[in-house]
Amino acid sequence: MKFHFFHLMPYPELPADFREKNRSVWVDVPSSLFDPAVGHRAYNEYLDELEYAASVGFDGICVNEHHQNAYGMMPSPNLMAAALARRTSGVKLVLMGNSVALYNPPTRVAEEMAMLDVLSGGRLVAGFPVGTPMDTTYCYGQSPATLREKYREGVELILRAWSEPDVFPFNGKYTQLRYVNIWPRPMQKPRPPVWVPGGASVETWDLCLENDFLYANLSYFGYQEGQKIMDGFWHAVDRHKLPHNPYRAGFLQFIAVADSDAEAERLYAEPALYFYQRCLHVYAGYVNPPGYMSMATLQAGIEGQVARITNRAGARAEMATLSWKDLIERGYLVAGSPATVADRINDMADKLNVGHLMTLLHFGNMSKETTTYNTRMFAEKVIPRLRPRFHEWEDRWFPRDVPLQDAPAVSPEAVS
Amino acid sequence: MNSEIVSLPNGRRWQVYSGGEGPQTLWLHGLRGVDPADPTLAALQTRYRVTAPVAPGFNDLDELARIDNIHELALDYDDLIEVLGLERFSLIGHSFGAMIAAEIAAHFPKRAERLVLLAPFGMWNDAYPVADIFAMPYTQIDDILWHDPAKRDTFARRVATDADVKIVAEQTVTLARSLTAVTKFVWPIPDRGLRRRLPRIACPALVLFGAEDRVVSPRYADDFKAGLHGANTAVVAGAGHMLPYEQPEQVKHRFEEFVRAAKMA
Repeated sequence: MKFHFFHLMPYPELPADFREKNRSVWVDVPSSLFDPAVGHRAYNEYLDELEYAASVGFDGICVNEHHQNAYGMMPSPNLMAAALARRTSGVKLVLMGNSVALYNPPTRVAEEMAMLDVLSGGRLVAGFPVGTPMDTTYCYGQSPATLREKYREGVELILRAWSEPDVFPFNGKYTQLRYVNIWPRPMQKPRPPVWVPGGASVETWDLCLENDFLYANLSYFGYQEGQKIMDGFWHAVDRHKLPHNPYRAGFLQFIAVADSDAEAERLYAEPALYFYQRCLHVYAGYVNPPGYMSMATLQAGIEGQVARITNRAGARAEMATLSWKDLIERGYLVAGSPATVADRINDMADKLNVGHLMTLLHFGNMSKETTTYNTRMFAEKVIPRLRPRFHEWEDRWFPRDVPLQDAPAVSPEAVS
Repeated sequence: MNSEIVSLPNGRRWQVYSGGEGPQTLWLHGLRGVDPADPTLAALQTRYRVTAPVAPGFNDLDELARIDNIHELALDYDDLIEVLGLERFSLIGHSFGAMIAAEIAAHFPKRAERLVLLAPFGMWNDAYPVADIFAMPYTQIDDILWHDPAKRDTFARRVATDADVKIVAEQTVTLARSLTAVTKFVWPIPDRGLRRRLPRIACPALVLFGAEDRVVSPRYADDFKAGLHGANTAVVAGAGHMLPYEQPEQVKHRFEEFVRAAKMA
């Protein structure tokens, strides 16, 4: 099993009455709440935390893209990945990713990812999310009716731009280019591994399986809720007559480790509730623009879906009164002593069959000190218990370790 | 009304409703598609031959794959008008349908004899932005579309609660499909350059707004008047964006007045 340290980079000082006073943490969150001095401190501490995770043995460090979002301050994850490339070695840079349809032309994504792969010495994981409706349709103005088609065309263009040795013309519906010939080209051959973070859409699963991309489910609601979605994915794998290699799947999980279950509550309850109560306050009108979800997906699971949407609306109202106990019982958060956490992750590995675990060990307004502690505890006391899982499978969805003699030069002060 | 499937030379198929006897009227529906029970359609059929095609995408989103932009949409309607053999007709549209009607009249100024726009999309003014009906939960869209709660209850019955999940599902998918078709031509701002094309419109035009329209402000009447030389504009009391459902008699009355005035001129 492989372990990755995921950072959302939330704004850490949303006021306690944020929920009551504001409609949404995303899209139209008031700029008056942003203090650049707080942002400056947060960015630098967050990069320290990612670098620290690299130094204690995580396989990958993950950054992702959000726009106009107070819980995800990375409109450009590529900038963060570039900073991390210079300060780390060995650890893989999991860029979760660039929402392809937002870039014009999409060769910009091919270029920047190629730069990162070369700069880091072949350590890049290239993430291609369709992107959330908030990011793509409301913040970046893409029509939900054409978003997915534009995304698929962009992905095709990027893959060709990485792999075709000669200059070629691209006559697409959304992009027309006479001379595609990006410079530099990625270090990894034939290309960096591609990961697609996505929801429960049959179209996304098919895209992954047809192109040998990893599928990652980035849920904030834990592996119990995530099981239905991952079951759907493995069902799609069966449909494609492929083996259930756990390394073609990833899953995100909030994790909080301490010496005891009681200590976990003392340390982590506040940042966890900060996340679920303030950060997840997204206006319901931004969640499902017409056309974002294909009618097939809407129709297929419609009855379950309606129940789900209703439940979610209920859940949204309930968020305000959530307790630490609720978070644990619902499985949103895996928390407790190293033994408890390892048990739960073993259970997840059994049920979801995911080889790539993306851990959220920083969440909400967690301090750097607590984050460092959580990260160290997980790396030292949990990872060793889980490392052997799935060792019988080959992981073809992750950058290979570069042999020592070919290792890229790094500056002496780089961590790990 | 009768419903038939009409095929165009390009292979596209249209569902077209028709009914009534009299002078030709082409009706382009708004956000709710064609409902034969629509009171304005019923009122018009007492004196006119009404033809009402279902806009591309409203029945099947795949229909939109070959229509990339508002110009190709106007071309498709031009093909349909040709196949239907409509000549000397009045072109009436509501909401998104009024935007299409204006585009058809601007692209093909010799087609329609007169143009009637009811609460039209298609223009943008920073001083009074068109409401974003695509950034609200489906269950709340009717809150902003309607002014008259009684009319709303008649024509847009509230979706059932969890008790009848199948009905909720069906209504949600229908609404989602209709709105998806619309987003293709109005996202994120319902302005595809109609303002620049309005002066091409050669026929007499009437533009009506509901006084209580909270989606497209009645102030847009001025924007249309500025682009359409000699257009009549009026604001109808007691109606929101669903003007032809909320004040069908007023709409019919103003339409007939407009027809008479045009004949006298």
